[in-house]
Amino acid sequence: MSTPLLEVENLQTHFATPAGLVKAVDGVSFTVARGEVLGLVGESGSGKSITGFSLLGLLDPPGEVVGGSVRFKGEDLLTLDPKRKRHIRGNRIAMIFQDPMMTLNPVLSIGTQMIETVRAHDKVSRSEARQRARDALGKVGIPSPEERLDAYPHEFSGGMRQRVAIATALLHGPDLIIADEPTTALDVTIQSQILAQVQELCSELGMGLIWISHDLGVVAGLAHKIAVMYAGRIVEQGPVDHVLDHSRHPYTKGLIASTPMANRRGVPLHQIPGSAPSALNRPAGCSFRPRCARATEDCRLAPDISKHHGHEWRCFHPLGAES
Amino acid sequence: MSSHEAPLAQAVKVTKRFQKNTDFAERAAIALGAMQAPPVVHALDQVDLEIRRGEVVGLVGESGCGKSTLGRIMAGMLPATEGDVLRDGESLSALKGRKKREMRLATQIIFQDPMSSLNPRRRVGDIIGEAPRFHGLVDKAGQARLVAELLETVGLQPEMAQRFPHQFSGGQRQRIGIARALAVNPDFLVCDESIAALDVSIQAQIINLFMELRQRLGLTLLFISHDLSVVQHISDRVVIMYLGRVVESASVERIFEEPNHPYTRALLDEIPRIDRRNRSFSTIRGEIPSPVNPPRGCHFHPRCPHAFDRCRVERPVLQRVHGNHESACHLNDLPPQQQPPRRENNQ
Repeated sequence: MSTPLLEVENLQTHFATPAGLVKAVDGVSFTVARGEVLGLVGESGSGKSITGFSLLGLLDPPGEVVGGSVRFKGEDLLTLDPKRKRHIRGNRIAMIFQDPMMTLNPVLSIGTQMIETVRAHDKVSRSEARQRARDALGKVGIPSPEERLDAYPHEFSGGMRQRVAIATALLHGPDLIIADEPTTALDVTIQSQILAQVQELCSELGMGLIWISHDLGVVAGLAHKIAVMYAGRIVEQGPVDHVLDHSRHPYTKGLIASTPMANRRGVPLHQIPGSAPSALNRPAGCSFRPRCARATEDCRLAPDISKHHGHEWRCFHPLGAES
Repeated sequence: MSSHEAPLAQAVKVTKRFQKNTDFAERAAIALGAMQAPPVVHALDQVDLEIRRGEVVGLVGESGCGKSTLGRIMAGMLPATEGDVLRDGESLSALKGRKKREMRLATQIIFQDPMSSLNPRRRVGDIIGEAPRFHGLVDKAGQARLVAELLETVGLQPEMAQRFPHQFSGGQRQRIGIARALAVNPDFLVCDESIAALDVSIQAQIINLFMELRQRLGLTLLFISHDLSVVQHISDRVVIMYLGRVVESASVERIFEEPNHPYTRALLDEIPRIDRRNRSFSTIRGEIPSPVNPPRGCHFHPRCPHAFDRCRVERPVLQRVHGNHESACHLNDLPPQQQPPRRENNQ
């Protein structure tokens, strides 16, 4: 592969709150290639959503990207002039959010909103825009798309609304989609339908996808690469099989072990002691240190990234180092 | 009936319908045909459920299937529209006075969101100690001691009794909710999505706590969840609900190894699991119908790949398919050669 679709390097997003400086994203680097699905996993407060928002410049003050670069097809999105940025955002890169009821306007019909989206980037007639909206709805599996264009968001179920949001994201045939917990609020059977749809669209259209989620199970089934975030940093990333089967970082291992699995019924689950540190008061060095069984004095310094065949981790005492 | 033979709790043909209350003018308007009666939500439709002492029953279903309503009715928090709930063989509706109060104390419920079920203006010590004090289980001096003991039981420090709920993390708050439920010595806990709002690593801590408490205090649990892998981990028996009805019930091994009902099979195929990589998500089509207007016959038939004519008109009843394994599906009445393959693909 030549240049990746998206290259994020040392991204830093800070929130200057009255209580102190919150380093929500603290030096995050990753890449996404065409047709590749990256699963960005972490628990609440790990900075995974803020990473997604930072890429598109959707942060609300006091949030601010203070360092790093986000290169999309070679252009740095962070230093781009607003006009060019506007051209890329919503057109070449689209975003899907957790709660579609928040992203859809409740007083406008789906059709109006989708037509507006089409015409924001392409100078086409209303009827042509409407046709594109209809095709997009059909593509995400909404029955009788023509009639549904005139419906309002409240007339759709949760799963259908999320399909509308996906259809809207697809309108301009983006190269990259950033999806922030898009199926978290949905039921298992509906989640599965959406995942099937997304999977098909990605391979069919060759889009890159960043799937932000707390659910390792979903990401395992969908993604090619996984990045695990903890306290604002990616602590481990690499191909799905490497990260899940040969985890190097104790946090990744702990997360996997604390997920109930079929073959460990009734056995007490592995517990990661304590809870994630407050973003205002993170331990110096490796943030996982206070909860880590392998921690030593070395961990008071921040570990660098170690690499091996596309598998990266940030740990002084990685697992599996013996072999 | 002696008490150790009767199930600890039992729902007998419990039906629950919700309808908006109408005032006098509205009722008059409806009677005159000037207004339509408010829609009726059929939350539960003749549900039978038996929970034996010491058992952990996992109650699984998607949103709107009535699992929380059933949990609340079993806990005596909501009255059933029709049918009856028995506690140790005695009907809840027939209980009065002291016996009724004792029953209510012996059943406690733990909710999903600990922040909205803990009073933010009261100290944890008062939140946990209020009920046992009110019911005369402890005196003022005993309250502090009991609270300290309970906090230790759920893995918190006794000094924390002086703090307020907002000073705790989500997992710790759920522990407080559990301590409060345990304060009145219940033998039956209804856990309504009690771990759904927690992060994975915290979820594991609370699941372990439930399993430990169950062992130590001999609790019976009704564990309501939409998460099949959690239910598989913790339960002895699993009950699957779909749109107000129980569709299948069996021991946890049977459900996961030989699911009978097409809905159960679809659910199992769709649980995301860490060991299922790069899979293609195959799905059951369609959406969960509205409980305002459930389909005729089998509620699952519009989405079922194996539905045939009988499914569209006749409601299937729960019948025994093997041992304690019950399923409500007309396919089981077909001769074996006409039945669809039981398990298409495991992965």
